[in-house]
Amino acid sequence: MKLQFPPEAEAVRAEFAAWLDANTPPQQEAIVRARSTADSPPWARRFQRAMFDAGWLMPGQPPEHGGRNAPLLEQFVIQEELLRRRIYRSFNPQGLSIIAPSILMFGTAEQKQRWAVPVLRGELTAALGMSEPGAGSDLAGLRTRAVADGDGFVVNGQKVWTSGAHHADFILTFVRTDPDVPKHKGISVLIIPTDTPGVTRRPFGSFCAKDDLDFNEVFFDNAFVPRENLVGELNAGWAVTTGTLGEERALLWLTNYERIDDTVRDFAAHVRGTPIADDPIVQDWYGRVVVDATALRLLGYRSVAKMARGEDPAELSILKLFGSEAAQQSANSALEALGPAALDRDRPTAPFNHMNNEHMSSSWFDRYCRSFAGTIAGGTSEIQRNIIAERILGLPR
Amino acid sequence: MDLDLDDDQRALQETVQTVVAKACSPAFVRSVIEDSVDPAGWWSTMVELDWPALAIAEDAGGLGLTWIELAIVLEALGYAADPSPYLATTTQFAPIVRRCGDADQVRTWLGAVAAGTVGTLALGGHAIRATSVDGGWQLDGRVEHVVDGDRAGEIAVVATAADDVAVFVVNRAAAGGSLTVAPIPAFDHTVHIADLSFGATVVGESRRLAGGDIAAGVAVAVEEATLGWSIATVGACQRILDLVVDYVKQRHQFGVPIGSFQAVKHKAVDMYVAIERARAIAYYAALTIVEDDPRRSVAVSMAKAAAGECQEVAFQHGVQLFGGMGFTWENDLQIALRRAKLGAAMFGSTSDHRRRVAQEALAG
Repeated sequence: MKLQFPPEAEAVRAEFAAWLDANTPPQQEAIVRARSTADSPPWARRFQRAMFDAGWLMPGQPPEHGGRNAPLLEQFVIQEELLRRRIYRSFNPQGLSIIAPSILMFGTAEQKQRWAVPVLRGELTAALGMSEPGAGSDLAGLRTRAVADGDGFVVNGQKVWTSGAHHADFILTFVRTDPDVPKHKGISVLIIPTDTPGVTRRPFGSFCAKDDLDFNEVFFDNAFVPRENLVGELNAGWAVTTGTLGEERALLWLTNYERIDDTVRDFAAHVRGTPIADDPIVQDWYGRVVVDATALRLLGYRSVAKMARGEDPAELSILKLFGSEAAQQSANSALEALGPAALDRDRPTAPFNHMNNEHMSSSWFDRYCRSFAGTIAGGTSEIQRNIIAERILGLPR
Repeated sequence: MDLDLDDDQRALQETVQTVVAKACSPAFVRSVIEDSVDPAGWWSTMVELDWPALAIAEDAGGLGLTWIELAIVLEALGYAADPSPYLATTTQFAPIVRRCGDADQVRTWLGAVAAGTVGTLALGGHAIRATSVDGGWQLDGRVEHVVDGDRAGEIAVVATAADDVAVFVVNRAAAGGSLTVAPIPAFDHTVHIADLSFGATVVGESRRLAGGDIAAGVAVAVEEATLGWSIATVGACQRILDLVVDYVKQRHQFGVPIGSFQAVKHKAVDMYVAIERARAIAYYAALTIVEDDPRRSVAVSMAKAAAGECQEVAFQHGVQLFGGMGFTWENDLQIALRRAKLGAAMFGSTSDHRRRVAQEALAG
């Protein structure tokens, strides 16, 4: 056991910090703001491209994919440095962390060059077409149908919750290609450009605001997709849902850590020196939040270390479950502790940071609401509990 | 940052768990509770295995290992509801001697601990008055809830001498009738707790710890004692979870194991997550002690808070998931529940420690 990171990792952190000091765009360049998770403004695209070229964007990847073949621990300290500075690597987060890596892992050489690398360089943005009105937690029950037709597929059906689809250049779409086999075995993955005839995108407001437009319904009406856009083998798409990230899965908890760590920092900055900070009830819950943040970091470190040693940490589900729920409770606790001081929905809760999303400094109510993305998206807390009970505790299905 | 046990530590953990399962078995612990069997033999076994000596420096007769190795033993003992005086001796008496004693005192009393002497800590503060008498000191006052206060051979008493904090090592036998011991029948039958009254107890000057900044030493020693309870609590909670998981796998209702029901699974997972959370912080806190890291004090409070929160979840869900079976005397669940709950009351409540963590963070 050691409290410090190895000197090699700290050296990389220092090198990256110096690079960020020199290359982070100033605030006056960042006036145009992102409107969705697939709407990367030109200045953000330039920054992402600079990160790519310097090998900081996807440090675990080879240089041609925006990396430097860095070992996991170094990838971790690089992400930690971004988090500390509250810098978004990309304003198309799902493109960067799920879609491009999936294509890099399962796609053809041509698909990598045509779709994945441009997403990483900030030239294209992408959305993820998984959930459907009838397929949420039971994702394998998806019904959007793709029928082989000549040198391609004809797609019919509907996706929903497709974040950023209305601004995305393409949608990585999970479709049913064989309805006559067990549900996990008849799924394939298609890259569907959003300008394909027959593709209709309808953004709808979230419960945060009527004009908070990120979610989309996406309709496919006889949309023709060329065969060359099939990612991986036909009917082998389920593997793409589970194996997308490789060892970087061990870093996914950082998203929730960022949320809870932001709450710890922002709430303290808000109340420090005021009577609220002396309220024993406030101290009681705030202490729990600080403990949660620390525990998440420690459990996360442990998973990173295990993954770096080549072990597959079983506890990634715990990080998702615990991290998302702790982050949620922290935002709610801040909201309740501040009482009427938290009523103003336009009052920022953290200094504006042009390198990050406005949501990160929005009202405590908004932050609490958005925290439900953590406990619902990517496998609900209930599903995570089932997984942990069965795979770790060995309880019967 | 590496928070995993190394190979030697893992090997120690395996050995300790094996020994504890055999020599401090559920049947043995039950015999201590029900038949008043003396656990002295079990304590002797641990002394032969050098467990009290683990974290004591080699020049004082110890093995020179760290708080991590100590934590491994404490967790296994918490798991088994160990009825021996190990916790108080190694996490209360030994730390205060090490932190507050001069070189000779450290060698003397830590050497004694390594050889099997039982010790404890009586945090008297202002309640114990020390006055200078010819050739030594006289102690007067009363300390409540001293762990192993009824069976420790050496009792480190934190007292007030004039306006200063002072620590005296009182030998029970030498104190004779000037020391009145009132055992408390604690709800955990395996733990010894007693109130101690000192009435003109005289101790020699050589028994006043003289190693420098006493107040600072006491503060760190109290942190070590606090962490000891935290880790023991994690062990007890793990025992509760293990019993529950076994039970819900084999208990059938409606024709299926009750462990297949989501309502049951989800509670078990909440116990598991609370334990993982508390254990991670406890070992992190142990590491801050090993490395004398400035985060130590807050880390210990976090560990105590997390252990306290963990036992709330483990106790509540543990009994609930066992149903009627958990409500019986003969089920070993109750033994682990008592150990888990008792720790929460010692060396600051869960809420006390949470607020301490908050105060540090909010003071910025």
